[in-house]
Amino acid sequence: MTAAILTDLTKCVGCQACVWACKELNGLPREDGARQLSATTLTVVERHGRVNVRRQCMHCLDPACASVCPVNALHKTPEGPVAYDESKCIGCRYCMVGCPFNVPKYEWDRRVPRVQKCLMCYAQLVSKGKQPACTQVCPAGATIFGQRDALLTEARRRLAADPGRYVAHIYGEQEAGGTSVLYLSAVPFEQLGFPANVRKDPYPRLTWNVLSNLPQVVSVAGVGLIGIWWIVRRRQELAQNLPPPESER
Amino acid sequence: MTRGLRRLLAGVTFWRLVLAGLFALGAYATVVRFGRGLGAATNLSDAFPWGLWIGFDVLVGVGLAAGGFTVAATVHVFHIEHYKPIARPAVFTAFVGYVLVIVGLLFDLGQPWDIWHPLVMWNPRSVMFEVAWCVMLYTAVLALEFSPLVLERLGLHAPLRLVRAIYVPLVVIGVLLSMLHQSSLGTLYVIVPDKLYGLWYTPWLPVFFFLTAIAAGLAMTIVESYLSQRAFGRELEHDLLDGLARVIVVVLGVYLMWKAQDLLHRGQLALALQLTPEAVMFWGEIGLGVVLPIALLATPHVRRHRSGLFFAALLVVLGFVVSRLNVAVTGMARSSGTHYVPSLLELGVTFALVAAGFTAFAFAARYLGLFPAATGGAAAPAGARPSPTASGWGIAGLWVLLLAGWALLTLARGREDRPATAVLSATSATSASASPTRSSHDVAPAGWPAAPALPAPFRFPRGAHSPGVVTFDHASHLDAAKPQCAECHREQFSLLRPGRPLHGQLVMERIRRGQLCGRCHDGQRAFGVVAGECDVCHSTP
Repeated sequence: MTAAILTDLTKCVGCQACVWACKELNGLPREDGARQLSATTLTVVERHGRVNVRRQCMHCLDPACASVCPVNALHKTPEGPVAYDESKCIGCRYCMVGCPFNVPKYEWDRRVPRVQKCLMCYAQLVSKGKQPACTQVCPAGATIFGQRDALLTEARRRLAADPGRYVAHIYGEQEAGGTSVLYLSAVPFEQLGFPANVRKDPYPRLTWNVLSNLPQVVSVAGVGLIGIWWIVRRRQELAQNLPPPESER
Repeated sequence: MTRGLRRLLAGVTFWRLVLAGLFALGAYATVVRFGRGLGAATNLSDAFPWGLWIGFDVLVGVGLAAGGFTVAATVHVFHIEHYKPIARPAVFTAFVGYVLVIVGLLFDLGQPWDIWHPLVMWNPRSVMFEVAWCVMLYTAVLALEFSPLVLERLGLHAPLRLVRAIYVPLVVIGVLLSMLHQSSLGTLYVIVPDKLYGLWYTPWLPVFFFLTAIAAGLAMTIVESYLSQRAFGRELEHDLLDGLARVIVVVLGVYLMWKAQDLLHRGQLALALQLTPEAVMFWGEIGLGVVLPIALLATPHVRRHRSGLFFAALLVVLGFVVSRLNVAVTGMARSSGTHYVPSLLELGVTFALVAAGFTAFAFAARYLGLFPAATGGAAAPAGARPSPTASGWGIAGLWVLLLAGWALLTLARGREDRPATAVLSATSATSASASPTRSSHDVAPAGWPAAPALPAPFRFPRGAHSPGVVTFDHASHLDAAKPQCAECHREQFSLLRPGRPLHGQLVMERIRRGQLCGRCHDGQRAFGVVAGECDVCHSTP
């Protein structure tokens, strides 16, 4: 069971209630006109033509950010949200480089900076069995909270019930190996600023393919090096102790 | 007093002034970095979180120090003993290099005081975790490998015997650790297939990083020997350096073939033939940093000359610097949607670190006997003159030409596709080249939904003293094509409490005070409350 969010872009009226609810709950400054995600705007409603696109952390099932984090500051919780422990973070910013959706942002102007991203209200609400602030306040029912399986079923039901309304694609069902934030849209997602060529396989697999081979490499190379050291030394010893050639006898 | 001053002034040379200037700039940058944060000191941003400090201070720094493990393995594992004179400077360079890498990291990390966290907070799935452990352990190994020189000088024989006893296992461990993290610096980028430009992204990045580090580490040893001959008259035997040069040719040759085959196999070779900033830097890396040095170093005539060898090795080092910066900066630029140019303070820190490296090396060469004494005279063949094929001016000219081309193309590209609005997501390198047209934000593509339906007119419940029912019609208050819902639904009629948008009571008194409807209906932005005209709003009796 994984907590998830389904955002139906055809229903979003762009009222920004989710944005303000998020800022209120997380105590973030309410500056106007936030157009993109930042360290103080963890969810945002972008306008692409006439479509309102609410962006937030995708909460991947196998998150690249958590896999690259050297200290486990970012981690996938059993309930579903990808949470962040700022007391562990060393500020290497590999999560920002590694995220295929460019979600994590940094507090560049603070002397003790943190990584900031949507945590799906994990500590305040979701871990206590409640739903996050953004889905609570959505007046249009455009963004809803639930279990991932149930939301996928609901999304498929909507696609089947009104195929003319949507492109036949649930964004997040397979992207990056599946995400906990799902989208429905009337317009192809790549026209809405969603990364188009996101892989279907989990990103951590790419580096794990390399890392998982290292023990073999180390053991083979280690034995090889010691072997070479021993053989060459032995040969030099033998060469020194060899009886002199016949002619000199 | 005057004699002291005169002696001090006599010690002031051009290079010492340059060093002092660099250290001053570095000190200023340090104050800004730690006093006001990364944002104030660097040009890094959310779109470009890794810049010069990772690209140069870490990736280049670690790579140029690779001579340490290569030479140590040659001497102590392969028993090619006549290379022994090289081992000392190579190991010392590596040690200084790693210390500087760690110092550079302290600048780049957001919370440098927590740099020890990977020791106790483990994530074995993270490449960064592995690099952190290897760099830390290898720096310790290098300190031990280098310690005999210091212990000898201090006359501490007991610890010296101990280090000598474990020296071979130490070298083997050092080689293994180096293999791991030299390659892992490349693995760092294996997780960004959509962001790193096609000329550089490949699952073989770890192997390429390892091979190029070996070549660059050996080239660095040659460069250092030449510089130390110029500065102190001490250098390594030319025969030994000649041997290193041959190894460089082989390693670079293997790398070149592998790289070409990989580009061909992934169908990215065409990218190298386009006129883009990326392609120019790619040829800088491969043409000036791999192909040309292979040709030069494979020519006995060039290799025989001290300066021919030096300039060819310098090409390898410069090519290596560019190859790392290509992965960290050039190759990540297009997908980021921004143009990153390091700030003066970022450059200041990097130059100060390089200056610190040179200072440490000069100190060690002079006082620690890094190079065997008095080999200078007989080292190079008599009458060694700069080889005309690889003179300093020639190299400088080629590189200036290349960088100018890169700058021009970058500027041209910036003008061409400056995005109209900042878009959150990355358009990847491949998709950007495949579909260069951006969707216009004004024209609705096919399948676009009609404007969102506005809520039905809302009848406010009638109060006790109300002259008539008020019906609020969304349609007459806002443009259905561009509804600015948050204009009212943020403060005045908050949507944050669904079903109960109103805080307190809706009374005329509050409207007159500029709250609720009065926020706009103030007589200026929209008609205000006028005595005797209640029925304008209270229209239904």
